[in-house]
Amino acid sequence: MPRSMQLPKERIATSTPECQAGVLVVRRHHLLVRCSHWLNVPILLGLILSGVSIYWASPIYQHKPDPLTGNFDTLAGVGIWICAHVPGLHQYGSPPDWVYNHMSLGPGMLAVALRLHWLCAYLFMLNSLVFVMGLAMGGGWHSLLPRRTDLRDALKMFRYYIGLPLAKLTRRTWLHPRFNTKYNALQRVAYCSVPVAGLLSVFTGWAIHKPMQLYWLTAIFGGYDKARIWHFWLMWVFILFVVPHVILVLADGWDTLRSMIVGWSTRVKRSEVIAHEQ
Amino acid sequence: MNNEEKANSLEPKDIPSTGTGSKLEATKLPEAGPKDTNPAAPIATETPQSVEAIKQPVDPDESPSRSVDHEPRTDEAASFVAAKQEMAELPEAGPGDANPSVPMAMEKPEAVEAIEQQVDADGSPSSSVEPAPRTDEAVPPVAVEPLFVKKHQSFFDEQPLHVIERAPRVLRYRTRREVLVFGIGAVATAAGAGFLLPQNTLSRLGMRRDISSPGKEWLLNKALRIDDDVAEALYLRNRMVPTYTKSQITPLKNNYNGATPDPSYIPEWRLTLDGLASGLSVSLNIRNLLASFRVHEQITRLVCVEGWSAIAWWAGLRFDDLLSAYPPMSQAKWARLESSVNLGPRGNPDPYFVSLDLSTARHPQTLLATHLNGKPLTVEHGAPLRLLVPVKLGLKNIKAVTRITYTKDEPADYWAKRGYSRYDGI
Repeated sequence: MPRSMQLPKERIATSTPECQAGVLVVRRHHLLVRCSHWLNVPILLGLILSGVSIYWASPIYQHKPDPLTGNFDTLAGVGIWICAHVPGLHQYGSPPDWVYNHMSLGPGMLAVALRLHWLCAYLFMLNSLVFVMGLAMGGGWHSLLPRRTDLRDALKMFRYYIGLPLAKLTRRTWLHPRFNTKYNALQRVAYCSVPVAGLLSVFTGWAIHKPMQLYWLTAIFGGYDKARIWHFWLMWVFILFVVPHVILVLADGWDTLRSMIVGWSTRVKRSEVIAHEQ
Repeated sequence: MNNEEKANSLEPKDIPSTGTGSKLEATKLPEAGPKDTNPAAPIATETPQSVEAIKQPVDPDESPSRSVDHEPRTDEAASFVAAKQEMAELPEAGPGDANPSVPMAMEKPEAVEAIEQQVDADGSPSSSVEPAPRTDEAVPPVAVEPLFVKKHQSFFDEQPLHVIERAPRVLRYRTRREVLVFGIGAVATAAGAGFLLPQNTLSRLGMRRDISSPGKEWLLNKALRIDDDVAEALYLRNRMVPTYTKSQITPLKNNYNGATPDPSYIPEWRLTLDGLASGLSVSLNIRNLLASFRVHEQITRLVCVEGWSAIAWWAGLRFDDLLSAYPPMSQAKWARLESSVNLGPRGNPDPYFVSLDLSTARHPQTLLATHLNGKPLTVEHGAPLRLLVPVKLGLKNIKAVTRITYTKDEPADYWAKRGYSRYDGI
């Protein structure tokens, strides 16, 4: 008797399919969502690199000029500190430029950085439209909507991730919180807030790009200087999202990474089983 | 859609053993029929239309894998379908039939059309239903059980999973193909992105070769032009920029790009107008200007391309008034403003010049400013007369204007030649 004919509940609940008959898969990501997801990688990289180069021309965070170095830019100060304290960097040519040399196109490149920033910004807006279309056509937006229980459940997930390495080391069982949705609450909080951050980045970007014609938009963010601060920290939202995002996807395994390439996943098990047990 | 109609339309009478298999390959039918073991059980060999079936609210007594309709089925429609199904399937009931109440789907995995065929599979069987033991081993079948979603799904609720079945071979093929396409795309994007990076950055990354090319410049200039067109489309001549109160005034630094000119030019300063309708060249001194034009005041923000900005209290004559008093030639669409006293970084003469579209020049808040914070302009801020155009970036706000030339075609611009935008509307 083929294995697949035996209790499907057990089979599906305990294993990924290895039966001859076929593999059970679920659709996970619409083609347009996948395309825009991956296109975001070079676009956001371009926006951040050129954005920090633009930041260099007039840093938001400044202090009184340092009597020794004459430096007033906090980010340049970070570079000076790094070069003074990190072994092997003591001979670095221009310490104030260290951050800009490693996190941007480079210092002193405002014109070219602006051109690249506009190019990437328009591509980002177009790509966002592709993303929204993919969400609408694939119905994926359902899975991104926040739920009332999300905050509590997200904290549970956060605790799980924080405790997981220790539990592995001490070989204690560390149970994954249950959920019966496509994403767990922490994922949903993240995957819902990143598009919101994208939207806010676009709006704050326009607010500082056209502060006269779109003065009302600038006013929404508290004026021109505050809109720049918004825009700057929204960049950090992306950076702070991407780092754990990549780590967790790699930790989660090939199926999750593959699903963003091919669109389907062989993880058909969790949600329904848990849904029925509850 | 009417449920009954849909059930009808999806139940071709010439396919005996399948309820919804309107797309089932004909070659498959003779095999599927006799091997069927559940006379009363619906056997679903799925069509793509039926993929969503299991997500729909379905009466648990019915055979959910047959519910191709998206709406909950009415009782009449359900019994109609059940009756039809029984008629069709009874003659083929096999002896090995063990469990007449199990919904089941069959699929031949070796079918060539595997890519096209999809089977609803679902991992959460209702506890009331037991899967049928099978005796026939000739065909590896797949049992799929429906998920009984009893709760009504609201529009915002998460959609249940679309569980489908694929042959492993197909999955391997598709994975290979799509990962390959992805890899090619990634390499192409990386190459394209590297191509777009500025030469300075590439050199810093260790790339020695100069890969600047006309294509790269074209693309980046194109993005810049699109952005300029957007800025031009956003501009409205009667849209005023925000004004501030005196308490909101912030310090304005001397942002002369090069050295600050020596103030000795000021006593002999004259403003020359060219490209006028009269065909003449007009030369005015600051006393003429202040005597013949009304002085307007405004407290506006000056925004620099670098990102900083300053709120300052300006006074001066409207550019629009100057245009009315000395009308430009009729075809003129642009003004070229020049400062011959501008200096380069080492104090060398470096005339500064900007282009300004006449539509922006006619904006009521575009001033030829003579005063800053209630006092005549100092040399740092472009004495005795500078352009103040708050709807443009600071770099268009040329200091110590000595000549204005009206032209038909867009004139050159100091910063546009250095890679910045030409329109600079904000």
